[in-house]
This record gives sequence, structure tokens and C-alpha cells, in this order.
Amino acid sequence: MGNDILVVAEHLGGTLSDTTFELLGMAKKLASQTGGSTVAALIGGDDTMLSQLGAADLVVRVGGGEIADFNPEVHGAALEAVVAAKQPRIVLIGYTSMGMDLASHLAVKADLAAASFAIGIEAGDSVVVTSQLYGGKMNVTTDLGSGPCVVSVLAGSAPADDGRAHGPPASEDLAVPPTAGKIRFRRLIEPEAGDVDITAQDMLVAIGRGIGNKDDVEVAEALAEALGAAVAGSRPLIDAGWLPKTRQVGKSGLKVSPKLYLALGISGAPEHIEGMKSSSTIIAVNTDKHAPIFNFAHYGMVADLFDVCEELTEIVEEKKG
Amino acid sequence: MLTTPEKIAFILLVLVCGALAFTGFRRIFQIVGRGKSAPRTDHLLARVTRALVDVGLQRPMFKARPWVSLFHAFIFFGFSFYLLVNINDILEAFVDGWSTIGGGPLASLFNLLSDVFSVFVLLGMILLLLRRFVQQPESLRFNPAVKLHPKVAQGWIKNDSLIVGVFILLHVGSRWLGTALHLAERGAGDPWLPTASVASRLFAGMSVGTLETGIHVCWWLAMGLIVLFLPYFPRSKHLHLMVAPVNLALDKRTPRGELEKVQDASHPGAATLTELPWPNILDSFACIMCNRCQDACPAHASGTSLSPAALEINKRYFINEHAAELAAGNGSASLLDFAITEEAVWSCTSCFACVRVCPVGNEPMTDIIALRRGMVFAGEMPDEVAEVLRSLDEKGNSFGDSARKRAKWTKPLDFKIPDARKEPVEYLWFVGDFASFDQQCQEVSRTVARILHQAGISFGILYEGERSAGNDVRRVGEEGLFEALAEHNLETLESCDFDKIFTTDPHTFNALKNDYGPYAGASQYDIVHYSSLLLELLRSGRITLAQPLDGRATYHDPCYLGRYNGGFDAPRGIIGACGVDLVEMPRNRENSFCCGAGGGRIWMKDQETLVERPSENRIREALELGEIDYFVVSCPKDLTMYRDAVKTSGNEGKIEVRDIVDLVADAMGLGEEEAVA
Amino acid sequence: MKLVVLMKRLPDLVEDLEVDDSGKALDAEFLKFTLNEFDDHALEEALLLKEATGGELTVVAVDGEDVDKMLYTALAKGADTALKISGTGEIGSTSHLARIFTQSLADRSYDLILTGVQAADDRDGQLAPTVAAMIGAPCIEVVTGIEHEAGKLIVRKEYSGGVLAEFDVEPPAVLGIQAARQTPRYAPVSKVRQVQESATLETVTLAADTGKSFDIIRMTPPETGAGAEMLGGVDELVKVMESKGVL
Ligand SMILES: Cc1cc2nc3c(=O)[nH]c(=O)nc-3n(C[C@H](O)[C@H](O)[C@H](O)COP(=O)(O)OP(=O)(O)OC[C@H]3O[C@@H](n4cnc5c(N)ncnc54)[C@H](O)[C@@H]3O)c2cc1C
Repeated sequence: MGNDILVVAEHLGGTLSDTTFELLGMAKKLASQTGGSTVAALIGGDDTMLSQLGAADLVVRVGGGEIADFNPEVHGAALEAVVAAKQPRIVLIGYTSMGMDLASHLAVKADLAAASFAIGIEAGDSVVVTSQLYGGKMNVTTDLGSGPCVVSVLAGSAPADDGRAHGPPASEDLAVPPTAGKIRFRRLIEPEAGDVDITAQDMLVAIGRGIGNKDDVEVAEALAEALGAAVAGSRPLIDAGWLPKTRQVGKSGLKVSPKLYLALGISGAPEHIEGMKSSSTIIAVNTDKHAPIFNFAHYGMVADLFDVCEELTEIVEEKKG
Repeated sequence: MLTTPEKIAFILLVLVCGALAFTGFRRIFQIVGRGKSAPRTDHLLARVTRALVDVGLQRPMFKARPWVSLFHAFIFFGFSFYLLVNINDILEAFVDGWSTIGGGPLASLFNLLSDVFSVFVLLGMILLLLRRFVQQPESLRFNPAVKLHPKVAQGWIKNDSLIVGVFILLHVGSRWLGTALHLAERGAGDPWLPTASVASRLFAGMSVGTLETGIHVCWWLAMGLIVLFLPYFPRSKHLHLMVAPVNLALDKRTPRGELEKVQDASHPGAATLTELPWPNILDSFACIMCNRCQDACPAHASGTSLSPAALEINKRYFINEHAAELAAGNGSASLLDFAITEEAVWSCTSCFACVRVCPVGNEPMTDIIALRRGMVFAGEMPDEVAEVLRSLDEKGNSFGDSARKRAKWTKPLDFKIPDARKEPVEYLWFVGDFASFDQQCQEVSRTVARILHQAGISFGILYEGERSAGNDVRRVGEEGLFEALAEHNLETLESCDFDKIFTTDPHTFNALKNDYGPYAGASQYDIVHYSSLLLELLRSGRITLAQPLDGRATYHDPCYLGRYNGGFDAPRGIIGACGVDLVEMPRNRENSFCCGAGGGRIWMKDQETLVERPSENRIREALELGEIDYFVVSCPKDLTMYRDAVKTSGNEGKIEVRDIVDLVADAMGLGEEEAVA
Repeated sequence: MKLVVLMKRLPDLVEDLEVDDSGKALDAEFLKFTLNEFDDHALEEALLLKEATGGELTVVAVDGEDVDKMLYTALAKGADTALKISGTGEIGSTSHLARIFTQSLADRSYDLILTGVQAADDRDGQLAPTVAAMIGAPCIEVVTGIEHEAGKLIVRKEYSGGVLAEFDVEPPAVLGIQAARQTPRYAPVSKVRQVQESATLETVTLAADTGKSFDIIRMTPPETGAGAEMLGGVDELVKVMESKGVL
């Protein structure tokens, strides 16, 4: 085992994800703690991507366009090969849809210690990881021993800017290892164009499961209308068909950064926080004073969302005359 | 009077029609017998007596539509007397020389009655036909979304009405004319037959031959027709005249608020007609298709596809169509295919208005409960219902909140409510879900607590030991979950030391008082609604009202307190004691209009066919009374329903929805609850 | 098709969670357990698959409080067999749990293993890919749709922004379910009670195995309102909005 920190670069549709840069920034800090270097694994990437990974000391490239589309089996095997070749002390993977396919697979195959839902990592004699568990209700700090280990990191846990640097870094190539071909990529399906682009709004009234009932979505719509805002929501509302998919904020939805994000009846699960934490002002309303959302909001209010909606709608309408 | 060929013809007619009618009636008997068993044969004497009195006095009729009921009474009394008349007429036809005209006092009295009743029947019938065919009241139509049997949609109810109407007019009219012809033949009127005598003048001077022919024609029209009509009876709604009294006698005699238990736990409820309990099948034969239940139904009034009348009518038309198969035990079409829509099943608020108003003792609501039981067992229910049931199963409340937070509402109080599980109390307060978890209702709960505390009453609550009482769970059709909740609560109650239970929630009240009965075994509890408790405290002087209020209020009877459990007077007593003038809404007491929240409706979204929510309809009714300050309620669900309705109907500021206990608190001078920091 | 659903219980997040005296674990006194909601989706998806293509569905869970009810509920919903694993002792991690599940399935055949995409206490990784790696089967996480067609599976995986990827997968495979095609069904209590009387749970007893678990140093609730300034009422909220220039 060396002292290197390996980051898995993630890309979709030819673009590297923000998480990749967040992880690179994190890796650089860790590498300075371990005295190793920062290595990026670029699987199925291209030269443009390579040129954006300047923050890494070394990029290990596995394959190119022929495996550009993510495939858990192929990319998993490729990552195993990289780890076998580089023997890093810590592997950082985004806690994303793709990352979820890779991290635990790697942990078993390469026999690495593992941590998930990570929001912070310290590398001294041992690697100490803080994970945000129980829907954000508890922070749990684990000692992973000296390593090697794989950590899946929640998006937004470090600033992406620290990991952005241009200029093609040193790179080496690894052959794509053969696989059994049990998973074959078919196609990507883009979402249908939405009615409203919530990423382009100044103000969002975001509702969560606290709204309780499909009919009551109206209450939020009324407030949004008064404010000149759009309604967005947490995943369960979209899964239940109460709001269209285009209104979903979070990990598997859209990332938004409006001037005002009014979170009503949203508990603040990490997957949701990921999508809205960069909003300029976050105001959260929740009946549960322990709701994790209050740890991320700038302002909070322990109240029933219906009372707040109603009163606020009235006041706003009055002000408008 | 009849010639020999006529006599033979009549006897043959009786034999043929009698045989046909017999097959029809026997089928009805078989079809009803295909239903699931139901306990309806206890106390037979009492059942029969009450049914006879009810029918004899036409009592169930006068719960609604007084004029129509009066005309019906004309026909009913007339027709009843006509049983004698018909017997007399057969004797007259077959026994030479038999006549009541010019007879002794008894015969004369008979004549007078037959004369007067004939006119009653004719008059009543003509008026009812005019109502149906000329006036065509709105109440005889169905909402566009209501599922109707194709024949009903084609207007067959009207055809049936016309056939029955014309039959009655011909039967009674011919008999009456026949009498007039008899009088004309005699050449003199009879003071005991006043109207027939007047009519006889029309025929004065006709030849004896003509008159005699007329008499024969009239006799056949009166008596032949009734025999001809016999085989039609089993197919016609007119059958009600035989089945209604039987149906009334075989009524459910347990408390209104106690649903019948599921008989077969592996196959609960009903999906097809013959899976219904037999009394529910009998209902469709008793139904006269008057739509009174539909008039009273809050779901129909709000525009949905639920019509309790259509349900019974569809059942009957389906039976008519498939009588032979059904009688043989075949024909298992789903009720959802021909009787009622799925939306309608989930529209019922279980308010009991349809059952209460039905003049023939039908219980369409229990068909719906049976359907729901079957559907829930098969996993077919609206998503919202599934969600709430899951929460009730896992957490014991419908709010999806932690069971541990059940007593959180007590936190802002400046005293601690005793834990009835740990110390003996006089009154055990079974708080209920809404009063515990809904924010607006929590305030009311705290006011109740403060009043009782101030009055020095010994009371306690069960804290997290309480679970939803399960009233609405049962009405939504989840019998298993209801039983689980009841068992848990009864076990908790069993371990506590108290005299009486009280609750502010009529739904909880009903479950504890009625539904728990068969589960509670030996420990039958004494349960009161807080309205009775407060009134008792006022009367005994334990609560004194230092600052009586003024203003005008109207009061809404909650279904599960009023119609179900007869709790009409206590809330009114309290309102009066507080110094507020009570103005009644047109629909009050037994006839109160549901807020739309019962039967699990409060958990479900509005139906797509909704035109006006029942709660909004009710607020409109209250506002039509003129200057009213308070819309007073005595049910936590009502508080939330009506506060909402005032807003959604755009009537904010025009009327204030208040709980009875708020009036009491104000009149006591307890003041507003301190703002919760 | 032979389907297996792996299920696990989690502390109900509706409750207030407290840390116990050791400072390293949740206070058991305040815990209420409930089925991992994603596992419920996995079960629903499995039931839908079974209904569409026929087959046999086995649900598996490790013994514990309320686990019987959880398994009977799955049977009431339409699962054919319920397997309860006992004797395992305290389960410390996802990898430990995965090893237990793989051991218990060792002498069974299956085409598809489904489980929830994640659990709120996944300290060391997710169950589906861990099990898959242990048994050497292909795995896809974050699945929102499965079709069975001519011996293979067509699987939809969700990325961010609502983008979906479609894969062909050759069974036997493991899939981590994010959301079933429909809201998980409700099993009526009467049915569960009936199943409880008529059906039996299969049990396997495994030797206790503490597995490789890493030390928890501490567990702390994130400081309440760490970042947030708490507002007392809507009027204050309006002031904030005005100061931020959004009103
Ligand atoms: C791979 C993956 C991707 C995911 N992607 C996303 C994503 O993109 N976006 C997303 O949002 N989630 C996502 N999730 C789901 C996420 O884990 C949470 O389940 C979800 O965010 C919870 O939504 P919620 O806060 O609305 O519901 P809950 O966690 O149920 O919270 C409801 C909150 O409302 C409060 N409340 C209740 N009643 C009231 C009231 N009357 N007034 C005020 N407050 C009230 C409660 O106290 C509670 O805090 C993803 C999960 C996975 C596994």
C-alpha cells in the first residue's frame, strides 16, 4: 500500500461531474496529510476530460470512447485494475448513482475497508471518516484503520473549485480488462422537457412529504404564485406523482441555486441537500425541531407549513395590494 | 254476478298468473337466501310489532318529504282497505245476490270507507303521477357520473312507475266506476256511497244492458287486472308494498354505531351481489326508488358518482335480468361492474343519513362497507388510504407521527395531566388522533384540559399508551387493523383504574361505545362525550360562567354524536348556558348534513367529480341564516373541516368556527391561551 | 423466475433519535424499527415482476424485533417463502449483513436478488453491490424499472437530473431498487393475521460471526440549527425575505 489518494472521475454525456472536482480538492488535502500524490482514474474518458483534471498529479486512463457510457460491470473491473496497479491508500468515489455501483464492489473485490455517506475524512495514522447517517440525523465518525480503504463521499462535501486546475497532467494508460459481458449498455433516456426550469428561478417554494396530501400541493402553489416563485419538491413527492419529475431537487433530480429556497416540510436528507445547498438563502419550515434541514438552512422555523404558507401568502398578497 | 264462462276464465287466469307469480316470488326467496348469513331473527315478536306499528302509522315515511308522504299515506290506507274490497268483489262475482249496497250498518260503513278511500287513492295517485311526470323533481335524477344499469339509464324506472300508476288508477278507478254503475242500475244514489252516487248520475238513463256490460267491464278491469298484475309484482318496484314491512321487521337491531362483524375472516366483505349479507339483498326488493337516500347523501350532493339509491336500484335491475342464474347460485358479476363505481365506494362518508332516511329500512351504507372490506382485503384502495393504514398499523395514529409524540400537545400546559396508566382517575380521557395531533385541535384539547383542571375534576390520559380508536379504520373496511387497535386499547384500558371514559371526538366516542362492545367482554365501559360532561359540570355548578356571552350561533350536529348516538341536546344546552342565541340550520339533529370527513374521507383526496365539498355546502347553509357569529362544532374533525371550508368558500371573516368548549372557556373568563413560545 | 428480496429493519426516522451513554450508538430505549423504505420498494417491484412473469418469490431477513411481522406481511402481499436467519448476533455493518445473506442463500438457486438501493445506516457501503461482489453476480444500483424479456432483464438506472440509462442484464443478478413502478402496496392486517396462522417462516441458523467491522469513534447529532438562525414567526420570516431583497 502506498500513500496515494485515488479519485474516480465521473462523467456523463461527455462532461465530468462537479463531484469529481470536489473529490480532487479533497484528495489534494488528504495527499498532503499522507505525503502521497493525487491520482485520478479516468475510465472511458476523452482528452478534453483529461485536460480538466489538472489538479491530479497523475491520471490513469482506462479505455476511451468505446467504454464512454457507464457500465457497472466494465467500469467496476477497470477500477479494480487501477487499484491493483496503483495500490492507493484511500480511494474516493462520489456517493452518486454511478459511484454506488463502484464503491462497494471495489471494497469486496480489493478487500478494502469502506465508508459511505462521508462528509469529512482525516488521514493520520489511521483514516477517520465522518458519515452522515440516519437521513442526516446523526453524524457517525469511524476509524477505518490505516488503510487501504474506499470512501464514498456525499456530493457537496468540499468545494469543487479546489479541485479545478487546467493543463493536462501526467497520464498513463491501462488496458480495459476483459469481462463476462453480463451487463450491456443499451441507451440513455433524457427526461422530457419540463414546464418550468427550476434551475433558472430566483425563488423556489420547495415542498416535501410534510405536505401530506396531493391536494394540499395547491397551498404551496398559491404561495409560489403570490411570490412569483416556482414550486419544487423532494423525491417522494415526485415518486408519488404529486409533482412532475422536472421539479425534483437533489441527487437524482436537479441542482438548484436560487436566491431564496423556501423548504417546507422537507426533512433534509443528504440526497436532497445535495441539490440545493448552494442556494443564496435557505429558509426551512418544519414541525420537527430536530429535522436535519435546520443544519443546512440559513434560517429556520419550527412550525406547521400550512400555517406558514397561509399567513405568508396573505402578507405577500397584501403587500402587492 | 259473473257468467259461468267468466267465472271459469277468472279461475283459469288466477291459476296461470298465480303459478307465474309463485315462480317469481320463490326466486326472490332463493336469491335472498344466497346472501351471507346475518343475525336478524332474534326478538321476532318485537320486530313484527314494531314493523306493523311503523307501517300502520306510516312513520318512516314522514322523516322527509311531508307532502309526498301524505299522498302516499292516502294510497297506503286506501290500498290496505282495498284488501277487503277485493274480497268483497270476488264474493259479489261468485255468490249470486251478494251486494253491500243497501245493506245493514256494517255494509254501509264498508261502503262509505270504500267510497272515501277510493277517492283518496285516486287523488293521491294522480298527484304523485303529476309530480313525477309533470313536475319532474330534480331529486329523481342522478348525478351524471353515477353508474346506472342500462335499463335505468333508458328510463325504465319511469316506465315502471307509469305501469304501477296506471294499474292503480285502473284498478281503483274501475272499482269505483263499477259501483257508480251499480247505483245507476238501481236508479238511486246511496248516501253511504257519496262520490259514487254523484258519478252515477252520469249514467242515468242508460239501458240496463249497457249498464250491465259496463259493470262486467269494470269488474274485470278491477279484479282481472290485479290478477294479471301478480306475475309483474316480482319484477316491479311496486313489490315494496310486500317486502318493505318484512324488511322493516328484519332491521339491524344493534346500535346504529356498531358495524356487524366480519363473518368469514378469510373472505371478508363482498365483491359480488350474493356475497352481501342477505338483508342487503332483500333491501333491493324493498326499494321503491324514491331517491330519498340520495337527497340526504353528502357525497351525491357534492357531485360524486355515489348514489345510495342507484346502488339499490342497480342491484334490483341486475337481479331482474339474472334472476334464474342467481337463484341457482350462479351469476357472480362484481358489484363494481353493475352497481356502483369504485370512486363511489370511496366517496361514502359513512354518515348514516341514507340508512336513517330510508322509509323501507334499507342500509345502502353497509353494502359500501362490505365492498370496502372486500377491496381492502384484496389490496385495492386509494394510495392515500394505504398510506394512512400503514401509519396506523405501525404508529397507531393516522398522522404518521411518532407514537411517542401523542401527548406532546400537553407540553404547553402549566400543569401535568395525570397518567391514567399510573394513577387512578375519575375520568379517563381517550383523546383520539385529531385532538392529539392536529395543531388546531390541540388548542381545543388544551382548553378542555384547563377547564377540567380548573373545575378540579380528576382526569387522566393514556399518553403513548393510546392508539387510534379505529372508528374510521373500520369504516374504511380494514377490519383486521380495527381489531388490532381495539385489542390494544382495551388491553390498556383494562390495566387502568377509572370510573368513566370521556372523549371530545365523536368518532372515538362511537368506536368505544358501540364498536368495542363485542370485544370488551365483561368490561363494558361507561363512555360520555365531553358535551355531556361539560353540561353536567355546568349544571352541578362545578363550572361557573362568570361572563356570559352574547351573539348568535348555529350548531352543527356531528354524525357520530348526533345521528349515530342521539347526542343532540347536551351541546345545545351548553351553547344556551353560555348565553349565545342558537339558530338552527334547516338540516339539524337527525337530519344533520355531514361535513364530508367521516368514513375515512378525511384521509382521501377530493374526487374528480366534486362540485362542492359537503363542508362548503354546510357553511352556505349557515350563512343563509343571516347574521350568525359562530358556527359551533363539537368534533375535532369538524373544526378543521369547517375552518377550511370557510376559507375555501371565500367566506373568511363572515363566520367564526368555534368549538363548544371555546364558548365555555370564554364564558368562564379563562381568556385566550397564552401564546406558545 | 426465482426472485429473492433481502429486507432489513432500520430505526424509524420519524422518532427523535438519541445517542446512548457510550456516545457511539443509538439509544435503544428510544428506537422503533421499521422496514427500510427502499426494501419495501424492492419487494413491490419483485411482486410486480412475479405477477407479470410468474415465478417464485422468497423474502429474507435477519431475526429481530418485529421481523416476524415484517416477513408475514411480505407473505400476505404475495411472497411465496419467507426465510428468517437467526443466530447471527449483533450485525455491525453492511458487509457483515451481506455475508450473512450470501451464506443463507448458498444452497438456493435464484435468478434475481432485489434489495433497497441504500439504507440510512449504511456506514460501510450498500447491500446490493456488496452481496453481488461476494457471489460474483452483476449488479446495478439506483434501479427504477425492470422488465423481463426472453431470459434477460432490461433494467433502468437513474442518474441525476432525471436522466435514465437502460441496460441488458443477464441473470442471476443483484439489483438495488430506488423506486418501484408503483407505490408499495398495503397488506391488510386481517390478511397478515391469517397468513400468520396458516403459513410458517423458514429459518436458518448461522454461526455467530462478528465480521470485519470498523470502530465507531463517536456518534453525534448534528448541532441543531447549527447554521440556521431560528425565526419565531411569519413576521420575522417576512423581514428576512425583505432584507434579502426577495420581497
Ligand atoms: C439514490 C437516491 C437518490 C435520491 N435522490 C433524491 C433527490 O434527488 N431528491 C430528494 O429530495 N430525495 C432524494 N432521495 C430520497 C431521500 O433519501 C429522502 O428519502 C427524501 O429526500 C425525503 O424527502 P422529504 O424530506 O420530503 O420526506 P421526509 O424525510 O419524510 O420528511 C418530511 C418532513 O416533513 C416534516 N413535516 C411533517 N409535517 C409537517 C408540517 N405539517 N409542517 C412542516 N413540516 C412537516 C417532518 O418533520 C419531516 O421532517 C434519494 C434517495 C436515494 C437513495
